[in-house]
Amino acid sequence: MGLAFALPVAVFIISLNIGSYPISPRTLIKVILSVFSPSSYPDVPAALRDIVFQIRLPRLLLAVAVGASLSVSGASLQALFKNPLVNEYILGISSGSAFGAAVSLVFLGKGFPPQVAAFVFGIAAVIAVLIIARSAGSHIVALLLTGIIVSAFFSALLALVEFFASPYALQALFYWLMGNLSLATWRDLALSVPLMAAGVILLVLLRWRLNVLSMSDQEAKALGVSVRREKVLVIVGCTLATASATAVTGIIGWIGLVVPHLVRMTAGVDNRRVVPLSASLGASFLLAADALTRSLASFEIPLGIFTSLIGIPFFLFLLKRSRRVWL
Amino acid sequence: MSVSVRGLFLTRGDFQLKIEGLEFPSGKLTSIVGPNGAGKTTLLMCLGGLLAVPRNRVFVQGRDIASLKDAERARLVASVPQEHNPTFNYSVLDFVVMGRAAHLPLFSLPSGEDVRAAEEALDFVRLRTFALRPYFELSSGERRLILIARALVQRADILLLDEPTTFLDPKHEMEIMELARRLAAERGQTVLLTLHNLDMAVKYSDSMVFMKGGGVFASGRPREVLSDDLLEAVYEVKMRIVDFDGRKLILR
Repeated sequence: MGLAFALPVAVFIISLNIGSYPISPRTLIKVILSVFSPSSYPDVPAALRDIVFQIRLPRLLLAVAVGASLSVSGASLQALFKNPLVNEYILGISSGSAFGAAVSLVFLGKGFPPQVAAFVFGIAAVIAVLIIARSAGSHIVALLLTGIIVSAFFSALLALVEFFASPYALQALFYWLMGNLSLATWRDLALSVPLMAAGVILLVLLRWRLNVLSMSDQEAKALGVSVRREKVLVIVGCTLATASATAVTGIIGWIGLVVPHLVRMTAGVDNRRVVPLSASLGASFLLAADALTRSLASFEIPLGIFTSLIGIPFFLFLLKRSRRVWL
Repeated sequence: MSVSVRGLFLTRGDFQLKIEGLEFPSGKLTSIVGPNGAGKTTLLMCLGGLLAVPRNRVFVQGRDIASLKDAERARLVASVPQEHNPTFNYSVLDFVVMGRAAHLPLFSLPSGEDVRAAEEALDFVRLRTFALRPYFELSSGERRLILIARALVQRADILLLDEPTTFLDPKHEMEIMELARRLAAERGQTVLLTLHNLDMAVKYSDSMVFMKGGGVFASGRPREVLSDDLLEAVYEVKMRIVDFDGRKLILR
């Protein structure tokens, strides 16, 4: 367990060196020390300090928060839905957020940050799912189907907005939809990380309860769980974490599916381990993926596309290796 | 009486449950028998609080089940489901410890004491050595025993088992029935179970309830209530009860 939490720290430190302007470890240490005593390191240029502290550091911290949020949400929803194939977007967050971002970019223009509308509509989608599924008794299948329906509805609305959009707004929208961390600022972090942290902490606190909730609803009730109330609590945690992550980065796919699977294959299915380990591995995974997008090509590969491109074959490999039906 | 029903009338689709009054003796093993569709499982679900019932109809340990919170209820009455297909392959110990949910606050993890309770329950069903085995590797007989162990760590006085012996071979069938008897006899728990095997019911039960068409047809101690006529009236098949070495056997 302890070792697992050293992993994101190590990846973080390595990632700090990587980018379109590579910084050697020795220079990096100098840059960091120069903040504390500028007079002893007069040879460190201010531009280098800006790269580290204004560009790279917020970006990596955001990668940690987003990677942990998406992975922990994915793991929690898989337990809640008793299905290892659901992902963190199953309740419509991605299509709600995409629609919100589209409305903001197309109708409110560039001056207004799309993150706000993306967050609001991501949450609105989940609330719509909960309300509609309630009329069907909030059963797991009802939630699953309603999630699909609400996603389809927002996707249709998104297409409609795209139809009316100017080419310029469309370009900005497509860039948002691809998912990326490159625009991370300290202000984005200050607004979104507390929400992500709140969601992740709630889910970490509920981690053993998730074991019980992964039994059938009737069994969980027989064991003394107030199923509907606790289900909503888990969904609140996942929604806070995923919607705030998606709002600042756009849609980054496959993490919530691949990371919890990898954790379960190596550490077993007990959510007391799966949830915290997903946080740590998810953070490391996104840090590494982001570092690769910055260093593999002369241009920066959009992160969402990259995680899908490596996530899908990786997931196929996991499926083949696991052999047993589902872990 | 630790479990009693007063005027429970419930409609579920085409099915109607109608029970005017029924009491189950404390610390005894009671079998609920009757043909398919008689309402045995529905009754058990009402007694376990898994189906919503109106107020002042079902009482466990003298308390109205409709007024109890889920956790409160689960500390008084434990239900063992008949079928069980979990998605995730938990270890037997992780699985049994889930029975502590009703005793633990929302944000807490099971303590060493909870784990010990789970191990004791595994001892009681004689599967202690299975603690670290993955649940998926167990046979269906072993799974039933593990489900019972999980219900035991709930520390509820009342235990409800829905067809605990269905699909089991004779050895495991007897093992489960012996276990149910020990729970009543050694621990003084009130055990209610639904059953199709009448010989088993007669052999192990302190008391029997015959159900038909959603209502109670007859009830009482097996030797007193059992008769050829009753069986024919309940099951609509001719049956004969014969004495063999002091045991009652049912011939079809």
